[in-house]
Amino acid sequence: MLDSLLALGGLVLLRDSVEWEGRSLLKALVKKSALCGEQVHILGCEVSEEEFREGFDSDINNRLVYHDFFRDPLNWSKTGEALPGGPLGALRAMCNRTDLGPVTIALDSLSWLLLHLPCTTLCQTLHTVSHQDSCPPGDGSPVGKVHVLGLLHEELHGPGPMGALSSLAQTEVTLGGIMGQASARILCRRPRQRPTDQTQWFSILPDFSLDLQEGPSIESQPHSDPHIPPVDPTAHLTFNLHLSKKEREARDNLTLPFQFSSEKQEALLRPRPSQATSHIFYEPDAYDDLDQEDPDDDLDI
Amino acid sequence: MAAVATCGGDAGSAGSAVATGSKSNVTSFQRRGPRASGTNDSGPRLVSITGTRPSVRNGQLLVSTGLPALDQLLGGGLAVGTVLLIEEDKYNIYSSLLFKYFLAEGIVNGHTLLVASANEDPANILQELPAPLLDDNCKKEFDEDVYNHKTPESNIKMKIAWRYQLLPKMEIGPVSSSRFGHYYDASKRIPQELIEASKWHGFFLPEKISSTLKVEPCSLTHGYIKLLQFIQNIIYEEGFDGSNPQKKQKNILRIGIQNLGSPLWGDDICCTENGDSSHSLTKFLYVLRGLLRTSLSVCIITMPTHLIQNKAVIAHITNLSDIVVGLESFIGSERETNPLYKDYHGLIHIRQIPRLNNLVCDESDVKDLGFKLKRKLFTIERLHLPPDLSDTVSRSSKQDLAESAKRLGPGCGMMAGGKKHLDF
Repeated sequence: MLDSLLALGGLVLLRDSVEWEGRSLLKALVKKSALCGEQVHILGCEVSEEEFREGFDSDINNRLVYHDFFRDPLNWSKTGEALPGGPLGALRAMCNRTDLGPVTIALDSLSWLLLHLPCTTLCQTLHTVSHQDSCPPGDGSPVGKVHVLGLLHEELHGPGPMGALSSLAQTEVTLGGIMGQASARILCRRPRQRPTDQTQWFSILPDFSLDLQEGPSIESQPHSDPHIPPVDPTAHLTFNLHLSKKEREARDNLTLPFQFSSEKQEALLRPRPSQATSHIFYEPDAYDDLDQEDPDDDLDI
Repeated sequence: MAAVATCGGDAGSAGSAVATGSKSNVTSFQRRGPRASGTNDSGPRLVSITGTRPSVRNGQLLVSTGLPALDQLLGGGLAVGTVLLIEEDKYNIYSSLLFKYFLAEGIVNGHTLLVASANEDPANILQELPAPLLDDNCKKEFDEDVYNHKTPESNIKMKIAWRYQLLPKMEIGPVSSSRFGHYYDASKRIPQELIEASKWHGFFLPEKISSTLKVEPCSLTHGYIKLLQFIQNIIYEEGFDGSNPQKKQKNILRIGIQNLGSPLWGDDICCTENGDSSHSLTKFLYVLRGLLRTSLSVCIITMPTHLIQNKAVIAHITNLSDIVVGLESFIGSERETNPLYKDYHGLIHIRQIPRLNNLVCDESDVKDLGFKLKRKLFTIERLHLPPDLSDTVSRSSKQDLAESAKRLGPGCGMMAGGKKHLDF
């Protein structure tokens, strides 16, 4: 599942924490896109360019287009190298791109952007960037998919911005793990479909390629409670709730006390044309007393 | 509300008051006689707008929400001039479905639509509306669908209660297009010719504002101001408020606003607790309701209230809307595997029903409602919770019952913690 993360497009949030860092996964995904031949843009805000590029071999490094906002985020040195508008300007510039191939934009990190930019502006810009492929340009040519990978440190932000970004993201990868084995919980929100939730165990090799693994061995997992079978309330009763076949047949053959013959029944069921007078159909029952005398006569009233 | 005499005022005189604006609307007694405006055959002079009917309780003009089950719970339908607020479920699956049912109902009835969204192009939203179930072919399929769910015992001819064989079965089914509410097939798309025959206006926020525009800070977020101006223009130009006397048939404007309050509208109410624009959304709702009360329009708003950080704001928003329906889906929550809820996809909470020209509101006595999305239908049913047989039974609401049924008998120690009331 991790390797098909990039197939969907849109915004992918990589939520990491202090124990399980996500930059290596980000770099692994960046390397994967670069090897697929996509254009890769990196907005580096948190670590220096040398540190980010370390570990990649030269042909991948040549494909990465790096926008450095770490060294001089506010453009104080005024050398003219830094892009105008800061990181937001760079993102907006990526909204209006002219080349139409698939592109991957890696934000390192989204937390930095969230802390330095107003949340609503960032959300609006991310939405525009990641939905470019759904709005085709005027000439009708197909636009390649845009993947935006954002590294988000979930401990730095409150529930508000996290919730807002989660609702915006197509895929959310939360990093965790047990005892040195890293896992990624992938929540995929496809529009108008049920979100899928999967956990994938993985590890990152030194050359930043992704190695998918099975989970840790069973004995290391804590024992869950044994499954309590649902209690059948009809067992162990002092009275019998079930009917055997013979009993069921006997019940069916029993004549009901006020059962009419079937002709009378059909006559009653047939809708009558006039309901002016009501008829009383009386069929004497087996136990009925046909004595016309008033049974209360022998009472002395 | 009493001062605004046009819509929702006297019994049934909504449309006629708009048509004859010069007449005073003090009384609803009108002389029967030849009238210029189109009259109905009997009773009060109701201008017959397709897709509307007067409420049987107070004569309010009602439109259907697109879901007959929801119409019943709201007292017959949605009153013209009111706002229906839907609190979205966590992944926005069922609330967008209700939104689409509302719009599709507008198309089937020939109402004018106004669709506003910040994340999706309104043209795309309209393409994805569900197809209406109108003719008898669909009725056959529907009956077959219901039949498959019936238990086998009901096929046996009734032996004891045989007189009830003649009674009509109490099953709801698709109806012809002249009735009030319609049924929709969520798996099929609405036919293209219906969309083209309908009149709609779209408001897509990224197109309407340019992001580099420097706007001076004011009390309403820029996106909201634009939307209100757009709505006001449409109402004025097309004569929904009676300003241009409509020579043709009167119509209802159905306004649908998607994901209001999300950061894509420029509102930071979901991001922070006390932001700069904390009153922007409440002011928007206030102005919107004023616009709706003076025109023949209905509005549906879906709002991600689970993201709003300041809970007091949610209370303000509830007060400023007329009908508030909350959706809670079981996807991803622990209730998904709870056997109590296995037949349902989520819960519906009717949080508020308005009191329009009444002292009491039309509250139904059923408070536990669950919904499920079957293959073609969205049904809302009463939730039947089994009796609680665990040790922690308490006399509080059914919500607690459901929660305590999950915890299998932890004993008296649990009474101290959690949401239990003290039991004496």
